[in-house]
Amino acid sequence: MIAARADIVANVWKIVVREGDPVNAGDELAVLESMKMEIPVIASASGHVSRICVNEGQIVQEGDVVVEIDGTPGA
Amino acid sequence: MTQLDLAALDATTHRSALTQRRRDRMARIEPRGAREHTARERVELLVDAGSFVEITPLRTADGKGTGVLTGWGRVDGRSVVVIAHDAAVASGAIGAVFASAVVKAQRLAIDRGFPIVYLNDSGGARVPDGVFALHGCGEIFTLNVVAQRRVPQISVILGPCAGAAAYSPALTDWTIMVKGHGHMFLTGPDIVKAATGEDATSDEIGGSQLHTVKSGVAHLEVEDEAAALAETRRLLSFLPSHAGAPMPVVDAVEPDAEAVSALPFVVPEKASVVFDMNQVLDGVLDEGERFELMPEHARSILTVLGRLDGRPVGIIANQPAARGGILDSLASVKAARFVEFCGRFGLPVVTFVDVPGFLPGTVEEGRGVITHGAKLLKAYIESSAPVLTVVVRKAYGGAYIAMGAKSLGADFQWAWSNAEIAVMGPGGAVTLLHRRALAAADDPITLRDELAAEYREEVARPYIAAESGIVDDVIVPEETRGRLSDALRMLTAGQA
Repeated sequence: MIAARADIVANVWKIVVREGDPVNAGDELAVLESMKMEIPVIASASGHVSRICVNEGQIVQEGDVVVEIDGTPGA
Repeated sequence: MTQLDLAALDATTHRSALTQRRRDRMARIEPRGAREHTARERVELLVDAGSFVEITPLRTADGKGTGVLTGWGRVDGRSVVVIAHDAAVASGAIGAVFASAVVKAQRLAIDRGFPIVYLNDSGGARVPDGVFALHGCGEIFTLNVVAQRRVPQISVILGPCAGAAAYSPALTDWTIMVKGHGHMFLTGPDIVKAATGEDATSDEIGGSQLHTVKSGVAHLEVEDEAAALAETRRLLSFLPSHAGAPMPVVDAVEPDAEAVSALPFVVPEKASVVFDMNQVLDGVLDEGERFELMPEHARSILTVLGRLDGRPVGIIANQPAARGGILDSLASVKAARFVEFCGRFGLPVVTFVDVPGFLPGTVEEGRGVITHGAKLLKAYIESSAPVLTVVVRKAYGGAYIAMGAKSLGADFQWAWSNAEIAVMGPGGAVTLLHRRALAAADDPITLRDELAAEYREEVARPYIAAESGIVDDVIVPEETRGRLSDALRMLTAGQA
């Protein structure tokens, strides 16, 4: 399991993927809003979205898991 | 004298005794453990072929040598002093004689103005030497600090460096660590376990990942010893031999043509959309070698050595692609350290600004963001090197000032025509300035957007800054290289 984490305290503005979606490394998973900036949460590896851990509008702290990806490559 | 006579002479007792002593001291000592090279091989990989000259080669503490190889050699033809710990002698532990040899080499470098490269691989103070070892370590630290104002110092961590062997690098300018082999900690896993009960591996307490990503104790992680030494050579290629020495200027190279044509379109119109600041660097600086320091630590700010018109410059730039380009405690410390370094050695500082502000909140205030942010202000204010600043998009509040503003002593400050400079961003400003009107409005959201647009045009646009003379001029992206290069030529005239 690979955790895509918030790298800054932020408001979850938009969740781009759904559970079960295939993703590639580098894909945008969600967009956070902090300091009036749209800060993307990026997949560090390819696989499937196994869990979305936050809701839109929620506040996340630095280090919080936003999306979990199972490490199955490809898809 | 004939060859025969020379051979006869060599057979005399005193000559053969010297030959034997030299042979004994130079005998190859196998590298210990996972090490790839002996101390001498490391030095020879660092310097130009055949250029290493050892200082006091016969000096010894216990018959095997001092535990440290000291001397000088050349890197790209320029002299450097090298101090290489020899882990094959008492684990490279710093005894009284070892320390005295290091101090002698440091003194040479400081007096004569040569950079110092420390190849560190030492368990720390030598226990049997007691207070004499501690006294020697303290003398090394003292000269590390004396050298800061005089010559560049680079530390390379090639093995486990504990205690004093970790503190000395912390007093030098830049530290490069070899992944897996280089470690830096106050004490290793065994003593940590005994002292506090904590179970931790060497990597967890002092590995290159910890120090180049999280702690910021080291500034570059490399794969192996050869890469560490090659990167040290590359780093030196951007630096003068000592403060006040000529800069290593090379032939100017135009930036990459594709990056130049992309430059006007790199910065998104919408202030909230992120982009990679490296694209701006690509379109402005000389194409070719760059040296990024601390690439994995506090990534919302870039600290890079590069070249403009062949002349080395230190580049500080907000990186919107990482954490929106914010300034926080770690980013401030990283930037301050870099600006301060450039100032000490006269490297012009070129700052590219696109900063949403200092990150507020309990976490950052608790980390002492005020103190750390102040370090960045101080570094710019104290810098005697040329400072040139380009606001490429937004510059709000205290972060505008901290990013090399004119008021801190920047020689020139320009703003791109789409820049926004203000005490706060449009959203916040409108809420603050029009609280009552917004509360009374039928449609506060539409009113807020209208007022924000008005604020952006009337308050934040760079023409106010330019008309007042605070910003020297408003420019378009493709004019940036020319402005920087004209200013640098003027400010560095008379230097090599």
